Amino acid sequence: MKISTVKTDKALIINIEEAEANFSKSDQFKELVFQEIEKGHHQLIISFKQVDYLDSSFLGAVVAVLKYLIPLQGKLVLVELNADIKNLFELTRLDKVFEIKKDINEASNIF
Amino acid sequence: MNNKILLVDDEVLQLKIMERLLKSDGYQCISVTSVQEAELVLKNQIPDLIISDYEMPEANGFVFREKLLKNDALKNVPFLFLTSFNQEDLVQKGLDLQALDYIPKNIPPSQLLAKINNLMNTVHEQYQKSLSEIKNIAKKLNLSNIPPKAPLLKHFEIHYFNQSYQNHPGGDFIDFIKINERYTIMVLGDVMGKKWGAWFFSFSFLSYIRSAVRICVLDGNLCLSEILHKINKVIYADDFLKDIFSTLSMVLVDDEEAKITYAGAGDLPLLKFSHQHQGLLSHQSDGILLGFLENSTFSEQDITFEVGEEAYLVSDGMIDFEVNAVKKSDINLLKKRLYDLKISGKSTEEIKEILFNKEVSQIDDCSFIIIKRK
Repeated sequence: MKISTVKTDKALIINIEEAEANFSKSDQFKELVFQEIEKGHHQLIISFKQVDYLDSSFLGAVVAVLKYLIPLQGKLVLVELNADIKNLFELTRLDKVFEIKKDINEASNIF
Repeated sequence: MNNKILLVDDEVLQLKIMERLLKSDGYQCISVTSVQEAELVLKNQIPDLIISDYEMPEANGFVFREKLLKNDALKNVPFLFLTSFNQEDLVQKGLDLQALDYIPKNIPPSQLLAKINNLMNTVHEQYQKSLSEIKNIAKKLNLSNIPPKAPLLKHFEIHYFNQSYQNHPGGDFIDFIKINERYTIMVLGDVMGKKWGAWFFSFSFLSYIRSAVRICVLDGNLCLSEILHKINKVIYADDFLKDIFSTLSMVLVDDEEAKITYAGAGDLPLLKFSHQHQGLLSHQSDGILLGFLENSTFSEQDITFEVGEEAYLVSDGMIDFEVNAVKKSDINLLKKRLYDLKISGKSTEEIKEILFNKEVSQIDDCSFIIIKRK
């Protein structure tokens, strides 16, 4: 499971560097993001730019990250979702609980 | 049967020979020329067997094996050494590193293939035996996430199907809770995750769901909104499930009035086939995944039926497709396929056969409930 991070003055950008975000990577992804949160990064942008397909296990990991951030008064914005992935968030009503923005610029404006 | 083999050898010719031999016997091979490359592959997938050379530049086969043994996800993947270095002390060290065998490269190909086949068969048989033992224990403990049969109702025919992913138990669960002669509650849920983890957690969710339904019914309450609200509350409060989420579709069948009420949590829409409409209708619920928020609302909606109309509850595995090695989630594709099958006059059994055909690439466990108005 590969991610890369970029720190800006407003948030930590986490790029998922996988075309397929699936069951075999979901636990590791969750742990990697939890580690960043524990380091004090509570304002996060997760970019799905390189992700073509996301399964429900990985979706569960992203939900777990948001749930972990809520009591810490953190913020999580998801960006650069392809049409299929965006549709999956809408189908499962997760678009109501996540902030979903088109790109990093748009996401940065809300911090 | 599992058949993916990772081959690690710095000699490209040796890799080509092995690939040819193994592919001729139906195995899939991933070939890499160094331990570093092997580690990159293993970050993304877990093979069913690893065959590694001993002497390689930078890191040798023993270093590779030692690293694997320290990795919980990889230490149990069957491992063989295949090498020209066959001094006794090396053979002993390889076997001490829990390699299943230490094979000389000059072994005749037919013998090498026989060894690999025997090993894979043994691993497969052992897996099936363990799976069967766990399933038997689950049965004895009355743990089942899929019921043995559908309820028989006056005004509705109920059919349901569940197909596990790669023969592993999964996180989908179905239950039919008969309240009395008039009312039956049906649930279809999907714990987010795959295989064993999701399977175990599905029992926790099912226990809460069954308890909440029974408690509400004892209070004379058949309101799905309230039942779901209670289920969500207890799941949210359970620390054991704090990182685990589940979708849930819940349907209350009124067999006297011949109607159903539906509510859901993070689930895919209930789909309905009606002769009056082109295409399937979607009835979307408004609840969020169970366990995510402490206070969620779950609105219920009444769905009426004409004779012959059908409603479908589906888990997310039903909308995951793999076409030309590209995976995607597409509910519209499922809706189109189902609608086309219905208007072509296919029976429920035929629809099941077509949807769960082994030729169709399945990438998650799939569950499906059909509610047909008689």
